[in-house]
Amino acid sequence: MAPDRNRLAAELILQALFPLLKVVIKDSPSIAKKFEGVTAKIQFVARDPDGDVGSYLSFTNGSLDVVHGVCEAPDIAFEFRTIRRMVAMLGGKPALVRIRGIRKIGLFLKLLALLASLTLLMPTARPKDPAKRRLKVKLSIYMMAAALSRYNKLGDPEMTEWTGKQPERIYQFSVSGQDDIAAYLRVKAGKSQAGPGTCTRRKPFVHMKFRSIDEALPILTNDINMVKAVEKGYLALDGSPEYSRDLGNFLIRIQSLVM
Amino acid sequence: MAEGLTWNVYDANTMTQADIYGEVLCKLGETNERIVGLSADLARSTKIGVFAARYPDRFFNAGIAEQNMFGMAAGLALSGLTPFVSTMAAFTTMRAAEQVRTDICYQNLDVKIIATHGGISFGQAGTTHHCTEDIAIMRSMANMTVIVPADGIECANAVVACLERPGPVYIRIGRGFEQACYSSDDYGFTIGKAVEITAGSDITLICCGITVLQAKEAARLLHESDGLSVRVINMHTIKPLDTEVILKAIAETRRIITFEDHNVYGGLGSAVSEVIAESGRACAFSRVGIPDCYSIVGYPEDLYNFYGLDTDGIVKKVREVMKRDFEEEENWEDGF
Repeated sequence: MAPDRNRLAAELILQALFPLLKVVIKDSPSIAKKFEGVTAKIQFVARDPDGDVGSYLSFTNGSLDVVHGVCEAPDIAFEFRTIRRMVAMLGGKPALVRIRGIRKIGLFLKLLALLASLTLLMPTARPKDPAKRRLKVKLSIYMMAAALSRYNKLGDPEMTEWTGKQPERIYQFSVSGQDDIAAYLRVKAGKSQAGPGTCTRRKPFVHMKFRSIDEALPILTNDINMVKAVEKGYLALDGSPEYSRDLGNFLIRIQSLVM
Repeated sequence: MAEGLTWNVYDANTMTQADIYGEVLCKLGETNERIVGLSADLARSTKIGVFAARYPDRFFNAGIAEQNMFGMAAGLALSGLTPFVSTMAAFTTMRAAEQVRTDICYQNLDVKIIATHGGISFGQAGTTHHCTEDIAIMRSMANMTVIVPADGIECANAVVACLERPGPVYIRIGRGFEQACYSSDDYGFTIGKAVEITAGSDITLICCGITVLQAKEAARLLHESDGLSVRVINMHTIKPLDTEVILKAIAETRRIITFEDHNVYGGLGSAVSEVIAESGRACAFSRVGIPDCYSIVGYPEDLYNFYGLDTDGIVKKVREVMKRDFEEEENWEDGF
């Protein structure tokens, strides 16, 4: 049975997007400084008759781990009465939320700064600062791989059918000359795995290579479509054009689901 | 190809590999007077007769005495000539094996051997005339270069190229009537450098001789029907082997199948498997050729089908190997 669309969107955000907060802390010295020495748990949970949906951020001496599920005694908890409300708020829209632990104002403000960094992923975000431009591209590429893998693992029927018929294949995303801005999606007979960096198990079946950070940005902000981007040389597609197109279609569906 | 050779692509489709060999040798003989020809009463079948008719003073028929013929070739080479010796593969590599080894290879002499009717290409002539051991025998002889062209065009390129290569060279061709794989001769033939026929990342098919064309067609079908990305390599030179292209295939596709009209022991598949084993990297691998048996008798095309060397057989084998794992890796957790 196809998963409920709201639940799917929520799980995608919690399991594919939230882990990227670790990248934000690692790559943003100002945010990392805020969390230095912090040990705390911050819960995000939506209530649902079929089972609550949640994840929590677990800080231990400033080191972040993202855990799927519900924790006991969080320092701060964001509780949504429905999954739809959670998806709306985490997708950038206003929604009612009950916040427990808001009196831990210091931690709360640090958390808001951290969550605000994820707005870089919105297509409308066009940062001027070079460090933020770099972070946007990195987060976007990580998000593409992570969301595709999670979308498959969460059981989207079309995605599972697509991965189900494939032998082991690597879909690689990268930016030329930026070794740390790379991520991959690996699929095999219905299974999937996303990871940062370059997968060395074999040659990518499809390699989407952005020419530079500045040329990746207009593609990620939808200022230029993929066909034009390829024409202009902003993006090189090495491998099957049919499967690249499928991948692009899945990404569009994921974006419309969560935003 | 050498300047002045007059056959063209149309000829490649209407002439057999041996026909083309005969024509090319004649053309080379015009400008290179050191070239002499020898055969063992098979000048007509092996097409070196074209050279014999054009240059009767530079051709020697040794009669049905292959051992003597290769001894004569060694003597001619020691005299400063470049002998091209033609007879059937079975007689070259087995009846005259000692002379090829001791008279020619041991002295590293400049003798070019063009062996026809290799593999099971002489289908209905029977098992005694099939030759499914020659690649194994010849590649184990020190100093010997071993080439198995994919078609007549490549045969011509190989004949031209072998003149520039010092030492003994063994060029193994079929009975003729093989279809053309290439549409032109300017694809960059170099002894010891394999040719990528199709690009692909799912699996690599390493082929020689008639299987190259069959694999090329299989790759097209597999792309259309199964969406597979199949790399086809024409490994025309079995020795020296292009190890670089094999190592690249191991790293990039992690699945390799070899196809050859030869016993699975000792030929192309064995040569490739040695490289895989020495690389220390896991790779799903399979060899297709004549299993360890004496081949059955029939029309060549039927035999190719029987032994899985035609397009249908290659498609079936690829589907089988695609189901195999190439490395233990069951961790499917996302890494972010």
